[in-house]
Amino acid sequence: MIEFYEVSKTYLNGVTALRDVTITIAKGEFVFVVGLSGAGKSTLARLVYREELPTKGYVFVNGVNLARLKPRAVPYLRRNIGVVFQDFKLLPRKTAYENVAFALRVTGASPREIARRVPACLELVGLGGKGDAYPDELSGGEQQRTALARAIANHPLVLVADEPTGNLDPTTSWDIVRLLLEVNQRGTTVLMATHAKHIVDAVRRRVITLDKGLVVSDKLRGGYGDGGERAWAQGLSASLSARP
Amino acid sequence: MGAGSFRVIVGEALTGIRRNGLMSVVSSTTVAVSLFVLAVFLLVGLNVDHMARVIESGLEVRLYLAEDLEPVDVEVLKIQVAALDGVTDVTYVSAEEALETLRQQLGEDAELLEGVEEMNPLSDSLRVSTKGPAWVDAVAASAGRLPGVADVGYTHDLAQRLLKLTTSVRVGGLVLVGLMVLATILVISNTVRLTILARGEEVYIMKLVGATNWLIRWPFLFEGLFFGLAGALLASLAAWQAYYWAVNGIYTTISFIPVLPVYPLAWRLGLVLLALGATIGALGSSISLRRFLRV
Ligand SMILES: Nc1ncnc2c1ncn2[C@@H]1O[C@H](COP(=O)(O)OP(=O)(O)OP(=O)(O)O)[C@@H](O)[C@H]1O
Ligand SMILES: [Mg+2]
Repeated sequence: MIEFYEVSKTYLNGVTALRDVTITIAKGEFVFVVGLSGAGKSTLARLVYREELPTKGYVFVNGVNLARLKPRAVPYLRRNIGVVFQDFKLLPRKTAYENVAFALRVTGASPREIARRVPACLELVGLGGKGDAYPDELSGGEQQRTALARAIANHPLVLVADEPTGNLDPTTSWDIVRLLLEVNQRGTTVLMATHAKHIVDAVRRRVITLDKGLVVSDKLRGGYGDGGERAWAQGLSASLSARP
Repeated sequence: MGAGSFRVIVGEALTGIRRNGLMSVVSSTTVAVSLFVLAVFLLVGLNVDHMARVIESGLEVRLYLAEDLEPVDVEVLKIQVAALDGVTDVTYVSAEEALETLRQQLGEDAELLEGVEEMNPLSDSLRVSTKGPAWVDAVAASAGRLPGVADVGYTHDLAQRLLKLTTSVRVGGLVLVGLMVLATILVISNTVRLTILARGEEVYIMKLVGATNWLIRWPFLFEGLFFGLAGALLASLAAWQAYYWAVNGIYTTISFIPVLPVYPLAWRLGLVLLALGATIGALGSSISLRRFLRV
């Protein structure tokens, strides 16, 4: 479903966020992507829904080389990929309901179907009563869950969730992870970037660990620390020496 | 585009207009003000042109006829003159009519004419209207050579100076109106650009969740169209009222200045402003959108 071949990504400012990443994610898989802040998790996600193109190497989604995708075909790719953005990216002048409805509208869904799906999705993420609120009237966690409702609204082939529990309390986090697992059960391939050690360790799914843009470990039933002691020690000493 | 997506698009546009509040008012007002200024320039320009036309048409060539012409000779001469290049009209003026006109022009001083009336010193003549000052010289020259014409009267200097004046007034007016159109387009499209700039992030997000360019473009296009039309409507009403008021003022005080009547000018001007507002609004918004759609 998702294939990376020796992918490197260097941003315009010269920062190299990914180096020679080669991974294959099969249809229906559930994958955690972990790593320190700045390791390249969000960059990996952006390459999947083609917000960015690789500087080197190839990214295939559903058999299509994204670099060769014509601009006018990109919207159709994105309709098959639900994304929970790390910074939510809700439309500020639309209510929570309309934000979810918009993702369905772009696919050409009928008003009837929209009226049925949107409340159901908001209910799933626990925002049943918040449909009429604008993003700036929602808490961080509520915005994040609205973004999740939008991402799953049209049953995407792939769900990319960039720290979907970043702003949530442990209980709500677990509700969300359970929801993601359920979505995955119904056949959607899920890619979830996260820092939530307890979740990764408890769920025991495939874990890809990034360190400074390199894939340092890729385990089928992994845990959060699988990148090796060295990487963690480095991270720890870096954070200690950064303090005054 | 099916009926369903049309409804979606119009709905999006209407919500956009509603929620854009202040920005909508600002852009409509900007459109209205710049179109109104343009309308004032257009009205002044058209009236100056009209005045020049009226003055030019007052310029004529007078052919004084020889004493011994038979009525049939006069008819032949009229036909010959009418056939000359640049001639638009030929009228026969008898000596008696000429005297009567003179008497009227003199008004209270008409008593000066007493005593000359029995032996009218004026001669029969042909009054020749031309297409404009540029033709006067040529018409006078060729008409003067025709048999039966005793003398030619016209003011060469006046013709030349008038020609220069009206030409430069027209060119100047055209340049000014052209510049105003350009300025109006720039002001309006810049306003539209700013409203879209403020919403670049929104467009970016829409693209990321899978919207096609046209799905994003249509609502913006309708919004631009709406602001353009709303502003143009305001400008048209204001220009119409202002012109109505100005024309009435001129009629009641300095009525000798020829001005174009309010109708149908007001309707035509309104249509031009509406078309301009709509085009710039719609085009401006879709052009400004372009750079945000490349995601
Ligand atoms: N748009 C960008 N332009 C330039 N550099 C960027 C851009 N986005 C990310 N980077 C850089 O690329 C590197 C990887 O960033 P990325 O956002 O992928 O990290 P991350 O693993 O998602 O971190 P976090 O856990 O904090 O979200 C960082 O050094 C970051 O500064
Ligand atoms: Mg990130």
